[in-house]
Amino acid sequence: MNVLIIEDDKALARELGLYLHNERFHCDFARTGREASEKLFVNEYDFVLLDLGLPDQDGLQLLAEARKERNQQASIIILSARGTVDDRIKGLDLGADDYLAKPYSLLELVSRMQAIVRRKHGVTQDTLGFGPFVLNVSDRTLRYHGEQEVTLTKKEFDLLHYLLLHRHKVLTRLQLSEHIWGSMISDSDDRDSNFIDVHVKNIRKKLAPYDSGDWIETVRGVGYRIKTAQEA
Amino acid sequence: MAGVLLLALPWAIKLFALRHTEARLRNELHQVRQRIERVGVGSFLTTQDQRLHYDLLQDEFIDLRRGRRLHPGGADTIATLPRLRQGQLVDFRVLRASFVHEGQPYTLEIGKSMESVEDVYGLLRSFAAYALAFAVLTTLLLELGVINHLLRPFDLIVHRLRAVQGPTPPPQPPLSTNTWDFRYLDESIQQMLLKIRSVFEQERQFIANVSHELLTPISILQNRFENMLQAENLPEEAETQLVTSQKTLQRLTATLRTLLLISRIENAQFARPDRVDVRELLREVVEELEDRLVDRHITLTQQLEGTPALAPANRTLLFALFFNLISNAIKYNHPEGTITVRGAAQPDGSYQLRIHNTGRPIPAEQLPHLFERFRRFDDGRVEGYGLGLAVVRSVTQFHGIGIEPASDEAGTTFTLTLPPPQ
Repeated sequence: MNVLIIEDDKALARELGLYLHNERFHCDFARTGREASEKLFVNEYDFVLLDLGLPDQDGLQLLAEARKERNQQASIIILSARGTVDDRIKGLDLGADDYLAKPYSLLELVSRMQAIVRRKHGVTQDTLGFGPFVLNVSDRTLRYHGEQEVTLTKKEFDLLHYLLLHRHKVLTRLQLSEHIWGSMISDSDDRDSNFIDVHVKNIRKKLAPYDSGDWIETVRGVGYRIKTAQEA
Repeated sequence: MAGVLLLALPWAIKLFALRHTEARLRNELHQVRQRIERVGVGSFLTTQDQRLHYDLLQDEFIDLRRGRRLHPGGADTIATLPRLRQGQLVDFRVLRASFVHEGQPYTLEIGKSMESVEDVYGLLRSFAAYALAFAVLTTLLLELGVINHLLRPFDLIVHRLRAVQGPTPPPQPPLSTNTWDFRYLDESIQQMLLKIRSVFEQERQFIANVSHELLTPISILQNRFENMLQAENLPEEAETQLVTSQKTLQRLTATLRTLLLISRIENAQFARPDRVDVRELLREVVEELEDRLVDRHITLTQQLEGTPALAPANRTLLFALFFNLISNAIKYNHPEGTITVRGAAQPDGSYQLRIHNTGRPIPAEQLPHLFERFRRFDDGRVEGYGLGLAVVRSVTQFHGIGIEPASDEAGTTFTLTLPPPQ
C-alpha cells in the first residue's frame, strides 16, 4: 500500500514512516503544500496522511484540492496539532476519511487505516474468535461456543476487540487507553492508563466460569496480548 | 415651568376678573353720563334718605347725588366698599365719579356686588383649569413623541449591543443619524468591540501556536517511544523504562490538552448548535463510567422530574461537564457509597440538578477554591491533576449554568442551575 506522508516536521515524519514501514506500507514524503500537490498529481496513493499546519499552505485547502484530483482515489487521514475545534468538522466535510489529533498512538493510526481498507473493500469481518469464544462486532456480543452470551460492558468489549484486531502484538496500556478514551474530551486523569488493568481483570473474571485458559496474557511491564489457541 | 404657571394662575385670574369688572363699571358710567346729558339728572337723582337704586337682581346699583365733592380736583376712584342691601352690609366694587351738570356739581357712584365678581372669577378659574389640563396633556404627548423620535438612534445602539453574542460579533454598518453625539457613541462602541475582537483573535492565534509548538515535539517523543517498543529483543529493563517514560509523557499530554480545552472554551471557540436532553446525556455519561461504578461498588440513583433540556448548547462540552462531575463523585466516594442525581424544575423556569455523593466532606475553607486550576486538597487524597473541576467551571460559565458546591458529614453536593432552554 502506498502512503503519502505530508508533514513539515522531519523528525515526526521519520517516526511515522518507520512505523508504517514495519507495517508493510510503502511511504512517500512531502514537506510542503507545493511538494504534496505535485506528488498527488503524479502518483496514485492508497493513503494520504495530512498535517494541517504546513509552512506554505493551509492543509484544509490542500485537502480540497486533493479531493478534486480525478485520478486520486486515496483515503485521506488528517493528523493535526492545531486542534482548533472546527478543524475536525471542516476536514470531514471536505472529504477526509478520518481525523486524529496529535499526539496519537501509531497503533491507533494503523488501526484506523486498516478499518478504512476493510470498509473500502467490503471485507469487514463480523466475527473474531479466540479459543472457544467468538466476538461479534455487528451485534456487539461475546459468545461461548456460539451459544452462551458473556455480558461485557462497552469498554470491555472495545478493549477485547482491539486486542483481537492486533492479536499478534503486545499492546501497551497506553495504546489501549488511547483507543478506548482517545477521542473523548474529559478530565485529564480519566485517561489514566492504569484503569486498563481493571478492565482486563474484569474481562478475565467474566471469562473464567466458561474456560480455564488465560486468554489475555500480561506482558510484564508493557501491556497485554491475546494468546493464540496453541498457547492457551 | 408648569408649576410656576399653576401657582401664578389664580392670582392672574383674580386680577383679570377685577379689571374686567372695573372696565364694565367705567363703561356704564359713560352711558349714564350720556343719558344725563340727554334727559337731565332728575330721574337719576337720589335724595339724602332715599335707598339706593338697585337693578332687578340687586347686584348693581347707581347712586347720583348733588354736591358732595369728596375729591375736589379728583378723578374717578374705584374701591371695594360696603353698602346696605336689604338691611345687610354687602361688599361692592364701587366706581365714584364727580362731574358738573348745568353748573351743579354731582357725585355718581356705580357699584357691582363682589359676589358677581366672584362668579366671573370662578367661571374663569374653572375654564383655566380645563385649559391648563389640556395644555399639559398635549405637551406631554407631544414631548413623548418627539423625544422618542430624537432618541431612536440611542435605542438602536442599545438594541445592537444587546444582540451581541460572544466576544466576536460581526461588524455593524455605521448608525445612520444626524446627531453628532449618537454617531460619537456608536463609533466608540464599535471601536471597543473591535478592540475586544482583536484581543480574542490574538488569543486564539496564541492558543493555536502553543498547541502546535508543544504538541508536535510531544508527538515526536510518543511516536519514538512506540517505535522503540516495537524493537525485537529489547532488554526488559529498557522496556520498563520506556513504558514509564510514555506514562509521564501521557500525563503531560493530558494536562496540556485540558489546559488548551479550558482556554478554548474561555476564548469562545466552541459553537452551541445543539439542544441537549439532559436525561439522555446523563445516561450516556453513566454508561461510559459503569465500569468504575461496578469496580468501586457504588450505587447511582437518578430522580429527575420532567424532561430537562439545555439549548443552545454544545453537547461535547456538556458531556465533559457531567462526566467530570460523576467521575469525581465516584473517585471521592467511599467504596460501596452512593451517588444521587436529583432534578426538579423551578418556578422561575430554570431547572435545578443536584449531584450528591457520600464521600468524605470537603473542608469549608477549600470550597471556594474548588474550581481553581491545579488546586489539590491538602491531604493529598487526589490522584488527579486538579483540572477536572476547572473544566467544569468553564463549561458551566459558557452555558450560563450556575454551580454551587456544598459539603458536610453526609457528603458533597454540586447544585447546578440550568437556564430555561431557548
